[in-house]
Amino acid sequence: MSTTPAVADVVSNVWKLLTERGAQVRQGDVLAVLESMKMEIPVHAPVGGRVVEVPVVEGQIVQEGDTLVLIETD
Amino acid sequence: MTQLDALTSTRPPSSEHRDVLTQRRADRFERVEPRGRRQHTARERAELFCDPGSFVEIAPLRTAGSTGGAGVVTGWGTVAGRPVVVASHDAAVASGAIGAVFAETVQRAQELAIDRGHPIVYINDSGGARIHDGIHALHGCGGIFALNVKASRRVPQISLILGPCAGAAAYSPALTDWTIMVKEQGQMFLTGPEIVRAATGEDATADEIGGSGMHTRTSGVAHLEVEDEDEAFDRARRLLSFLPSHVGGRPAAVQAVPAPAEAVERLPHVVPEKSSIVFDMHDVLDGVLDADTDGTGRLELSPEHAPSVITMLARLDGRAVGVVANQPLRRGGVLDAKASVKISRFVDFCARYDLPVVTFVDVPGFLPGTVEEGRGVITQGATMLRAYVEATSPVLTVIVRKAYGGAYIAMGARSLGADLTWAWSGSEIAVMGPGGAVALLHRRALRDAEDPDALREELAAEYREKVARPYLAAEAGILDDVIHPEETRDRLVQAVRMLAPEPA
Repeated sequence: MSTTPAVADVVSNVWKLLTERGAQVRQGDVLAVLESMKMEIPVHAPVGGRVVEVPVVEGQIVQEGDTLVLIETD
Repeated sequence: MTQLDALTSTRPPSSEHRDVLTQRRADRFERVEPRGRRQHTARERAELFCDPGSFVEIAPLRTAGSTGGAGVVTGWGTVAGRPVVVASHDAAVASGAIGAVFAETVQRAQELAIDRGHPIVYINDSGGARIHDGIHALHGCGGIFALNVKASRRVPQISLILGPCAGAAAYSPALTDWTIMVKEQGQMFLTGPEIVRAATGEDATADEIGGSGMHTRTSGVAHLEVEDEDEAFDRARRLLSFLPSHVGGRPAAVQAVPAPAEAVERLPHVVPEKSSIVFDMHDVLDGVLDADTDGTGRLELSPEHAPSVITMLARLDGRAVGVVANQPLRRGGVLDAKASVKISRFVDFCARYDLPVVTFVDVPGFLPGTVEEGRGVITQGATMLRAYVEATSPVLTVIVRKAYGGAYIAMGARSLGADLTWAWSGSEIAVMGPGGAVALLHRRALRDAEDPDALREELAAEYREKVARPYLAAEAGILDDVIHPEETRDRLVQAVRMLAPEPA
């Protein structure tokens, strides 16, 4: 078991969260949409697995590199 | 009896001196099994990189001491029939440490390449300066660096990182044009893990400090990450296929391949109507550039570093071109300090080798804020402006969607010296985006409005149509034309034929 974070790749506002704790996700699924520079920037799952933590809420400002979703893989 | 007969008859052909040479060669070329993840010896690497059977070693008997060679195998060979000079570090001799003789040997190869106008490929696998050689080692390293700089004005230089390259051995690649690293095998750092721990207390592995992940994603020091040595040779050969052998030379001609019909047909539908929705710029490039039928027609450099912009060697009408593009799919296609450095370095390089620079624009602006200002985005952004202004090769710019503010200028605008510029009919060019412009221009009206949001939207739509559409720029001569997406390839091909004609 190991966990992999999906991180914000740019300073932005968490516009939409499209997953929640316990959800199963596949690699490439859109987990969240960030809003920055008037662009809707999708955040894709870097790996498939189970979402174990979502340490942000919609409307929160995040910095480049901040963890948005933590995914546990087998 | 002639004199010659006398000689041959009185001295029967002794094979002693022949045996000596044969033995010397056997000793020098004896294969030392490569250690660790290495696949090939230094000599094998040079041979495998060049066309089969073409590698010729310079001064193979040169030695830095009683055993082993100079610590580096140098020579020349051909790649796709064109001469290249190769210097391949020999990790079997003192871990490839750079001593005085090693440095002299590399410098001789560099001078040969500079004098004769051949590209240089450095196959790096060196622990750094050879401590036993003291100040002579440092003097030699500095000499290599100086020739790296001299060569950079004359011939392409490519560095392959096939082992740990520490200290002095890390600087030479950084002075060359492009660096290719083998995953989990090549490393570059000024100081290795032990010294880092002793100096600052930071506990990090060699790969964390200077592995291919660090340098092709975060630092940008290296430009391509590959799986093994053979792939590194393949990439370096492909890189050379786009380039002339020297400044003022011409790349090998390649048959023009039209863009695939389905990609051209898709072109008008690639860019989403709503300017905030992302798309993959590669879909635009596919409908414009020559089709890449066998995987050798394109080479993206630094694909994972500053990925909001694309820098790629490709072909248009059979000619090598340098493509710069925003990539909305990654970080919205934004410009920042790292993206600016990536673009300016690429544009400089293309211009030096007469490759037309073709820029595709969909840029939301320069990323604002304390982090970027702290990184010196003003200086880095200015470097990008300078690169376009100084580019002497043809500069062609296509605005496919948004081009706002300073970022509009920075992405190869007409004012910076672009030879020809076009905008797609649905694009927007303005000092700022509709939202920001309306807030400034109609502050009072918005404050007094009963429904400010509705008014804002209405005014923004009006601004977009009346101010931001590309016709104002076209009427002012700042754009050469407004075009349909599917016309892009023809416009670019015609432009390249006119601006960089084939010699008769």
